[in-house]
Amino acid sequence: MRFSEFTPYDLVLLAQGLGVTLGLFLVTSLIGAAVGATFAVIRFYRVPVLVPAITFVCEILKNSPVLVQLFLVFFGFPSLLHLNVTPVQAAVMTLSANTAAFVYVIAVSAIESIGRDQIEAGRVFGLTRWQVLRHVIAPQAEAFAIGPLTALLVNQLQVTSLISVIGVMDLAKIGATLNMRTLKPFVVWTVVGILYYLAAKLFAALGARFEERLRAHNAFRGL
Amino acid sequence: MLRLDLTILVPHLGFLARGALLTAQVCVLSLIGSVLIGVAVALARTASKPWIRRVAFVYVDLFRNIPFIVQLFFFYYGLPEIGLYLDAFTTGVIALSIAGGAYASDVLRAGILAIDNGVLEAAEVSGLPRRVIFRRIVLPIALRTSVRPLGSVLINMILTSSILSTITLNELTGQAKIVASDTFRPFEVYVVLLVVYAALTYLVSIGIALLHRALNRDLQPQVA
Repeated sequence: MRFSEFTPYDLVLLAQGLGVTLGLFLVTSLIGAAVGATFAVIRFYRVPVLVPAITFVCEILKNSPVLVQLFLVFFGFPSLLHLNVTPVQAAVMTLSANTAAFVYVIAVSAIESIGRDQIEAGRVFGLTRWQVLRHVIAPQAEAFAIGPLTALLVNQLQVTSLISVIGVMDLAKIGATLNMRTLKPFVVWTVVGILYYLAAKLFAALGARFEERLRAHNAFRGL
Repeated sequence: MLRLDLTILVPHLGFLARGALLTAQVCVLSLIGSVLIGVAVALARTASKPWIRRVAFVYVDLFRNIPFIVQLFFFYYGLPEIGLYLDAFTTGVIALSIAGGAYASDVLRAGILAIDNGVLEAAEVSGLPRRVIFRRIVLPIALRTSVRPLGSVLINMILTSSILSTITLNELTGQAKIVASDTFRPFEVYVVLLVVYAALTYLVSIGIALLHRALNRDLQPQVA
């Protein structure tokens, strides 16, 4: 390549990469949170065959490298099922499933953190299991889960960088491209690192504020 | 047409085992490196001078909030720029040690802070110099009580080491990539790889739990 210097257009590229990273992060977090919470509800209802199956799949997802999961979805599924999977589709599927596995664990422990006496009291008052879950457990479990959930999501933001390996044009991939063109690894990776760092800090701060709000009802008011 | 035939992997098992061995080597070396860095940084983070604490915190904060793949590329492409030509193995171990060190230091710091003040006061009253207090009293207790959380750092390291395949280091995942492209059976290869990693980390976690219990026997609550 003849142009090996940095150009103003590189800033646009970086912004694009950051946009792809944040966009995929938000989408997969939402899908993952929804799926993970649904799994936890299935567990709450003690559905026979489903619960052990979900627990097994989540254990495998939690205890294997995300990179291998990505390869399985991107290279493995197409060869087995003879269908086409684009890098973005593979990234969305893998990251959502991975996030769901971790959200499932958090949601289960949040539900279990609510004392049995509250559930029994609710049932005695004639609430259905769903009403107990919706009006008694959910509000308290939310406040309990938000801290671990924020930590998880900040971590998952970093995990999104792995999708650059299967060719999604996210921030890390843009970094690799700029690195190859300018041959200035220190500058490029420092800038990319700072962008990831700032994004992580932003989400951590948002999570902390949200937690403060959810916990406001039982915060210590002073004497 | 669904074909799932795991027997095609049999001729490649030796090849994959060599990758697993390399993964084990990388992880053991990086664990040693990250515990060494972790001890130094934990010491700095519990130091009495505020500026030392702040510098150590910046290190931990940075390396925990930047994706490992970015750190890895920073070292892999950056070090030759300043005249340090290291192979992928060494670079990988260095990067994993530095990243793992940030996590290990958090664990060890918690271990140090959990030490009973009375123990430290007794040591000071006995007239032991500060070096000796740290080396002979603080460190053994902190290391012993943080075996289990250090084990989670190791397990994370085993999973993270798969990323080293992106800098041409052919550990377990790198070898599997080669097998997948040789056999044209990526599904079988990666499914097996997924299960192998899960089984490996499961076994390691059992071993750590046993080690933790053996080392902390005297701290267990007495059961009549």
